[in-house]
Amino acid sequence: MSYKVTEEGNISIVHLDGEIDMDVTEKAKEIIMPLIEAKKEVHLNLKEVQYMDSSGISVLIESHQKASELGTKVILKDISKSVLKVIMMAKLEQILNLG
Amino acid sequence: MNTSAAISEQRDFAVNSGSLKDVRSFSRQVFEKVNIDQDLKDELVLAIAEAAQNIVKHAYKGEETDDKMEIKISLKNGELEIGFFDKGRPVDQGNVRHRKIDDIKPGGLGTFFIQQIMDAVVFKEGEKPWINHLILTKKINY
Repeated sequence: MSYKVTEEGNISIVHLDGEIDMDVTEKAKEIIMPLIEAKKEVHLNLKEVQYMDSSGISVLIESHQKASELGTKVILKDISKSVLKVIMMAKLEQILNLG
Repeated sequence: MNTSAAISEQRDFAVNSGSLKDVRSFSRQVFEKVNIDQDLKDELVLAIAEAAQNIVKHAYKGEETDDKMEIKISLKNGELEIGFFDKGRPVDQGNVRHRKIDDIKPGGLGTFFIQQIMDAVVFKEGEKPWINHLILTKKINY
């Protein structure tokens, strides 16, 4: 997994790239959580994520819940077909913010 | 492409999170030989990777080990069978359950995905030298 973070005002846009599995979830959290803790609105661009497993979905849930606690939000952008399928399999399309 | 050929392939993997990409790569290579649609291939790869992840997370509790786990993918007469063999802690099938899907929290989804994708999930005691033997099956039209 690789990533790029850009800033637009109070919005942090995180572009993730590659496959998100158990092996990279800690790295993903290290990228995303400090932005949420800084009360940024976080846009996760998932266009280039070709694979996500249950560990990746857990990162999305944890990020969403942390943002809600802190009064900000995480919005999932440009979700790839394969990731959307896993989100729907987990029945999270009504829970997570899909932008 | 020979769509009716029987397939039986197996490979050993290190028991750690870094090997999950190798598990997916092996699974994709095997399913390349089968004339089924890409969505189903992706689902099967996910189920296999989730089961392998469960071995790392639960049978070995994420501990470092030199042990290997073995994955065997067999397809014959439209019956796909995927076997997982490991030497970790014995699995008590009664403790293997996914979280309630409407109880939104991180974790507990891997087993749910496996059950969604496969027709049957069976845990057996492994024959020596194995401790656990997990069998996932699914009818495949190909």
